Amino acid sequence: MAFLIRQTLVYAVPLMIVGLAGIFAERSGIINLALEGIMIFGAFVGVLFVRIGQQAGWFAAAYAAGNWISMQGFVLLTMAVAALMGAVFSLLLAFAAINLKADQTIGGTALNMLAPALVLFLIRIIANQNTLQMATGDSASWFMVKKTMLGYDKKAQLGFFASAFLDKVYFATYFCLLVFVILSVILYKTRFGMRMRSCGENPQAADSLGINVVKMRYAGVLISGALSGMGGFVYALTTANCSANGDVAGFGFLALAVMIFGNWKPLNVAGGALLFGLFKCIAASFSTLDINGDGVYALAQLGISAHFYRLLPYLITLLVLAFTSKSSRAPKAEGIPYDKSTR
Amino acid sequence: MKKYIAVLLALVMVLGLAACGGSKPAEETKPAETKPAEAAAPAAQTETAQTAQTETPAEPAALTADDIDDNMTSADGTYVIAFVTDVGQLKDKSFNQGTWEGVKLYAYENGLSYKYYQPANGDQATDDDRYDAMKAAAEGGAQVIVCAGFMQGTALAKAAAEFTDVKFVFIDGWSLGMDNVVGIDFQEEQCGYLAGYAAVMEGYTELGFCGGGGGTNAAVNRYGYGYVQGAEAAAAEKGVDVHMNYTFLYGASFQASPELQTLTNGWYETGTEVIFSCGGSIFDSITAAASANDAAVIGVDVDQSFSSDTVITSALKGIGEAAYQALTAAFDGSWETFANGGHVTLGAKQGAVGLPTATWSLENWSVEEYEAMFAKIVSGEITIDNDPANLASTAHVTLNVVE
Repeated sequence: MAFLIRQTLVYAVPLMIVGLAGIFAERSGIINLALEGIMIFGAFVGVLFVRIGQQAGWFAAAYAAGNWISMQGFVLLTMAVAALMGAVFSLLLAFAAINLKADQTIGGTALNMLAPALVLFLIRIIANQNTLQMATGDSASWFMVKKTMLGYDKKAQLGFFASAFLDKVYFATYFCLLVFVILSVILYKTRFGMRMRSCGENPQAADSLGINVVKMRYAGVLISGALSGMGGFVYALTTANCSANGDVAGFGFLALAVMIFGNWKPLNVAGGALLFGLFKCIAASFSTLDINGDGVYALAQLGISAHFYRLLPYLITLLVLAFTSKSSRAPKAEGIPYDKSTR
Repeated sequence: MKKYIAVLLALVMVLGLAACGGSKPAEETKPAETKPAEAAAPAAQTETAQTAQTETPAEPAALTADDIDDNMTSADGTYVIAFVTDVGQLKDKSFNQGTWEGVKLYAYENGLSYKYYQPANGDQATDDDRYDAMKAAAEGGAQVIVCAGFMQGTALAKAAAEFTDVKFVFIDGWSLGMDNVVGIDFQEEQCGYLAGYAAVMEGYTELGFCGGGGGTNAAVNRYGYGYVQGAEAAAAEKGVDVHMNYTFLYGASFQASPELQTLTNGWYETGTEVIFSCGGSIFDSITAAASANDAAVIGVDVDQSFSSDTVITSALKGIGEAAYQALTAAFDGSWETFANGGHVTLGAKQGAVGLPTATWSLENWSVEEYEAMFAKIVSGEITIDNDPANLASTAHVTLNVVE
């Protein structure tokens, strides 16, 4: 059970944070289909940064000394860099959609096509193959927080809470959750958040009250880009052994789906991401999944084909979408370029 | 609003397809770097001294292949020795890389030009893609083309019939009945056996096996079946019961994947102590899981202990050496003797399979015991079944096949 919770979080958190990225863009009135592309780019930038850092020996001393707290600093720094570059990358969309008043879905599509091609091109130059990996070691030994690092024995029993939330986890996961909460509060409880949302509902009215729609929309897209970039790196770190290959397994598009069935509301998005993460985790680990701790792998004993379990996350997403889309309510002005002269 | 959602969803699906296609651009023959081989050579030699301690004992020469540039530019734009990769990365720390290192080493030592070709479309490569890569190699001036992986068979037969002047080395292959092709295969069940035996003698009773190729790769299947037999032999000797998880899930394309990492994480979490990682880059997913759980991994094809601290030993097969020897034969005129009618099988007798004793971190099974065991395999005192179709639970090994 502890394992299931931990692994569910690993899959759910990137989805959650990128879903929030989608909310920020769309609530400000810009459809950001480029989440996938920005994630791919962010993953690449993050892995490259880790690689360069390792080659330059920035945290070599801390690693050698087993100072895991400093290593979390390295992760945070990398996340910041990935977020920054994600924001820069999303400027392309912002400029096309806001200044040039281009069709937003086409702009996003362009970025989705650009990102994997660009990233693969660069990876081939840098690493001479299709996957960019860490210079040395693996993500678990460098960045994971484990009980053995905290001085416990490998076989020590820590109790349910500790083994689910404190052992074999990445600090990045919890940092993302923190960011998620803070930004959700900002979106709903601050003046800035309210103004941004108003630009996604009725920009003309917002403008008439002295809100700078262009600025607000830029802010929405930039926050969206930063979160997707960060989410992309966290995905690479926690699920792909800190490697980038121009692919995030469609997590950006899934985040869009999660955002829609979360009805553009952060809490619902979090729920949707957890649901998807749970089934994704079950799909991969059903063969040794011991849900109630009695030593019996119930799902494996059912004798259902592995393909069915692998289908489940997507099937569930479709089903939930089918039942919830009736009541879903997108921001009214999303996808429409802001034109001052139309009232 | 419904319309928007419908449009969005349609886009999501269309884009998903587009992105899948877009993320795999044709991996055609890559333009070589402009660095001349002469310039790279002295640098490589000076580095050798520093990196000598990281050298695999199985390497035939003092120079390590890591120091030789993967790309070189020949003066006349032709490349005499070509290497066509199997599915997966060139630098997979395993099968492709091991073969490529033997190719590079021979070419470098003999001052010949060399180049690698990756068939287009990655792990979805078709026979046509592979044939195109071979054709490009032959037309690029190749005299010998080394092709890694049994999947190249069909393409190779076509290319070899067309380019009869070019010699083909078919690693993990079989006889194609042509004078210019030699198929080299290995008795992987022998080193798999040794790995399984070593793991149980070391004291592990909860074993795992993750194979690449989805169960269709004969070499991987032999490794796995040998591994089970070795575990059985050691378990019988020690009188213990061994439980083994055995799967080909998520390894079909020999690539690392989040799913495989979660799967093996689950195994380690529920008691598995060591997993035999048998298939190219899936190694990355398995070592990541092992590292998270402070558990152990057995490497494959080449000595992988340099790639991760979790590797306790590796089931070696001399792919690099085989490529090296085949190239030697191709250029010194002993091709016909070497080719042996088109098919060579290498095993313990030829010293082509085994475990790397210099780098293993086993504590409860000594090198002397290993060597005694190895001698028994060579002499035929221990016979190992090489038909994976017989895979099943044995008296002391309970097999849990996850499909």
